[in-house]
Amino acid sequence: MAEKPRIALCWLASCAGCDEAVVDLNEALLDVAEGVEIGLWPVATDFKYNHLESMADQELALGVLHGAVRNSEQEEIAKLMRAKSKVILAFGSCACFGGTAGLANFRTREDIMNWVYLDSPTVVNPDATLPRTESLVNGKSLTLPEFYDHVYALDQVITIDYYLPGCPPPPDLILNGINAVISGDLPPRGSSLAPRTALCDTCPRNRTKPERLEIKAVKRIHEIEADPEVCFLAQGVICLGFATRTGCGETCIRVNTPCRGCFGPVPGVLDSGARTLSALSCLVKAGEYGDPRRLMESIDDPAGYVYRFSQPTSILGRKRRVENV
Amino acid sequence: MSKKITINPITRLEGHGKIEIFLDDEGKVEDAFWQVVELRGFERFCLGRPAEEMTRIAPNICGVCPSAHHMAATKALDALYGVEPTPTATLIRQLEYNAFVIEDHYIHFFFLAAPDFVLGPDAHPAVRNILGLIDKVGKETGLKVIEVRKRNRDIIRHIFGKAPHPEGGLPGGVPRRITEDDRKWIKETADFTVEFARYALLLFKEIVLGNEKYLELIQNEAYRLKTSYMALVDENRKVTFYDGKVKVIDPEGGEYALFDPQDYIEHIGEWVEPWTYVKMPFLRNIGWKGLSAGEGTSLYRVGPLARLNVSDGMATPLAQKEYEEMFEILGGKPAHNTLAMHWARLICALQAAEHNQMIASDPFLTSKDIRNMDLRLRREGVGCVEAPRGTLFHHYKTDRNGILTMVNLIVATQHNAAPICLSIKEAAREFVKGSDVKEGLLNRVEMAFRAYDPCLACATHALPGDLPLSIRIRDKKGDLIRTIERPGTAI
Amino acid sequence: MDAFDPKVVCFSCDFGWGFVSGHEALSPLVENWIPVTCSSKVDSVFILEAFEKGADGVLILGCPEGRCHFEDGNFRTEKKVYLLQKVLETYGIERERLRMVLSNNPEGERIPELVGEMKQALIKLGPIEKR
Repeated sequence: MAEKPRIALCWLASCAGCDEAVVDLNEALLDVAEGVEIGLWPVATDFKYNHLESMADQELALGVLHGAVRNSEQEEIAKLMRAKSKVILAFGSCACFGGTAGLANFRTREDIMNWVYLDSPTVVNPDATLPRTESLVNGKSLTLPEFYDHVYALDQVITIDYYLPGCPPPPDLILNGINAVISGDLPPRGSSLAPRTALCDTCPRNRTKPERLEIKAVKRIHEIEADPEVCFLAQGVICLGFATRTGCGETCIRVNTPCRGCFGPVPGVLDSGARTLSALSCLVKAGEYGDPRRLMESIDDPAGYVYRFSQPTSILGRKRRVENV
Repeated sequence: MSKKITINPITRLEGHGKIEIFLDDEGKVEDAFWQVVELRGFERFCLGRPAEEMTRIAPNICGVCPSAHHMAATKALDALYGVEPTPTATLIRQLEYNAFVIEDHYIHFFFLAAPDFVLGPDAHPAVRNILGLIDKVGKETGLKVIEVRKRNRDIIRHIFGKAPHPEGGLPGGVPRRITEDDRKWIKETADFTVEFARYALLLFKEIVLGNEKYLELIQNEAYRLKTSYMALVDENRKVTFYDGKVKVIDPEGGEYALFDPQDYIEHIGEWVEPWTYVKMPFLRNIGWKGLSAGEGTSLYRVGPLARLNVSDGMATPLAQKEYEEMFEILGGKPAHNTLAMHWARLICALQAAEHNQMIASDPFLTSKDIRNMDLRLRREGVGCVEAPRGTLFHHYKTDRNGILTMVNLIVATQHNAAPICLSIKEAAREFVKGSDVKEGLLNRVEMAFRAYDPCLACATHALPGDLPLSIRIRDKKGDLIRTIERPGTAI
Repeated sequence: MDAFDPKVVCFSCDFGWGFVSGHEALSPLVENWIPVTCSSKVDSVFILEAFEKGADGVLILGCPEGRCHFEDGNFRTEKKVYLLQKVLETYGIERERLRMVLSNNPEGERIPELVGEMKQALIKLGPIEKR
């Protein structure tokens, strides 16, 4: 009788939402558990990192990693999982593109440290103490890890076999993904386990999207009472559905909230932000409706909109942790 | 006797939180530290973003309690724009928020806390988890737990799109209305949840209070910490999650302060230590007195037990009865028994469930009036809620375009950071004697920690969010003699 | 001490700039020169990549308003540049480093002159601080 394939789930710089998403599979999770041996998953089993180390290389059929890479420990876990897994799945927007964590790349480490420990209005720090990698308390030595000045997406640290985007990935795609790996029925390595078209294609509002979109005034979502049936762009609200891969089920759109791009770009696009900026500049109509500068200046924080989940994979933001990855 | 016993020779893996226990020459615990080893900087990388995007970004602070950050952000936007949400919007928000408190409290209780009590603190780690629990209490109960979580998370999804990561709260309102068709299944969920909540408390009383050993554990001095307490209270000084004033009581139970959340800076200071990335809040006007509890302390705790200690009672009838029973058994207010947090947690969930029953029957729930559009930018606002783990503050400042220029967050687990260190020390002193410590005894130290339901993602506005932990025991010289690695529990 | 010699990448529209003199005559006079069929062909990707690959400044030369051969290409360029200037600022790159001139110059002698002017302005700004 064939042995059950072993899978492992591990987090890096993650908010734990991706773990919750797996727990959200509910009863379906128990079915999955029938067909696989969950070798490592902190919620259900008590595992130690040395279990991973003692495994043979490629012993795991599937290694699932979520979270970005922010410090040396996370890098080591990622590499360990890579060595022990036949297939590595980058699970969630943080692993796939860097995620919300990646916004920190727009600031410097000094700026963060200074605010958190010195300048915040509630801080009381008469000696200007800062956390240190080594300190002595009553003669006892305590250490803290150092971390990188940059947040990395997972494929900037190890090679990835498949990507499952989303913040978090939705249950149906999770199940399909796990089942695909177990059955071996997989697309080419390097693919996303999500549909290939943009959100616009599946959006319930796309029939209200005009043939030629001409945004004459950009509105922020709280400035209007958005019509729950009409395309956001047609209402002048920035929605990134046109630049974002579909598969989420339009969960935000359905509660009358515009898309912020957590599923990342469609296939073939590496820096979705750049393309989105070009597209936005076409959708906004200038000329007789007001001069171009004024209209574009009214879009506050374009970088925040278009790189919300993908700063570490952006052209200007990307760095490789290891060469030839 | 500095025998070096290392279970995991992986000193490079610090984990996202670690506990260091130092023994003196006689092998007794001299000191214990809980170190948070991560920092992320949400407060800084949100700058330059439009303020209304905080209800999209802030939930990503934590995948376990995203609704708390979402609601604190939404309320901070209310304050920022000087706008009161419509009555219907308030009902919708409370409905979602209660559903969140419910599912979050039960996740903690059943996945993390209950295994210690149902299977016993000495049970083997391989069974001392949710699966072992289901084995012991039966699959039916297990399915009920999954069901109550799913159904309440469906309420969250219905209102704010996703769980985890609800999004879309707006100043003065909510993005979408609730229909009469929705009301039907919402009411069913509320009724189901109240029944479950009562059952959960019955289970607790049977398994925990019905067991002398556990009752003893709850009342054990090792798990008692005399601190002040902080929580939100409503206009009747009763427990509230969504909105209220901040009340602080001293260790004897007297009222120390009652203030509007926007004045939090006057009362709360954050202390910095070099050995941890988390800042430790304390009562500013008393001043930092170090890591010490008891009389004169400036440390305070937040969370379910704090809520019950600080308030004059629960806001709903069934929960109120449970509140009275709890304090009778514990011998009065305030109760300093850390493990009683688990009990209080279940009572809070019951109140949230009862409240949702009321909301589900409220005629205004389905009105179309979900947005108050009278927005006047004040350029500063504070939003405060009772997150499941305790009081949460979001403070924003913007320029005249509503673009963020300052963000200051104080989160629940932060308030508890210093008390957690003390609780660990007390528990370690009681249970760790010498380096030869059985796993079950170490688990009892962890139980002190676990009662707080700490959320590391929140504590450092950090990602990662969960609880991989390593406990190290060192001798007088600082040499490592024992390490226990817990890659942690994700939720 | 090495003097800072800024690298400028210059995109220019063939319909408005230098078409009389031609590429062969002009290219020895302009470093990092990329003539294009319309300034709107300069996608955001190229501008960002120019900075990523070490440019200290990017100059885009397009046609005057109302004179685009493709009707609204230069409008799109304008809008794109304003947006990108904001994005660059978020990355810590001063918006003066991305410049656009909408005009025309059939002989093309202004191309190297404008590049030179930009270099002068960039010397004052200094090199980009690598984050």
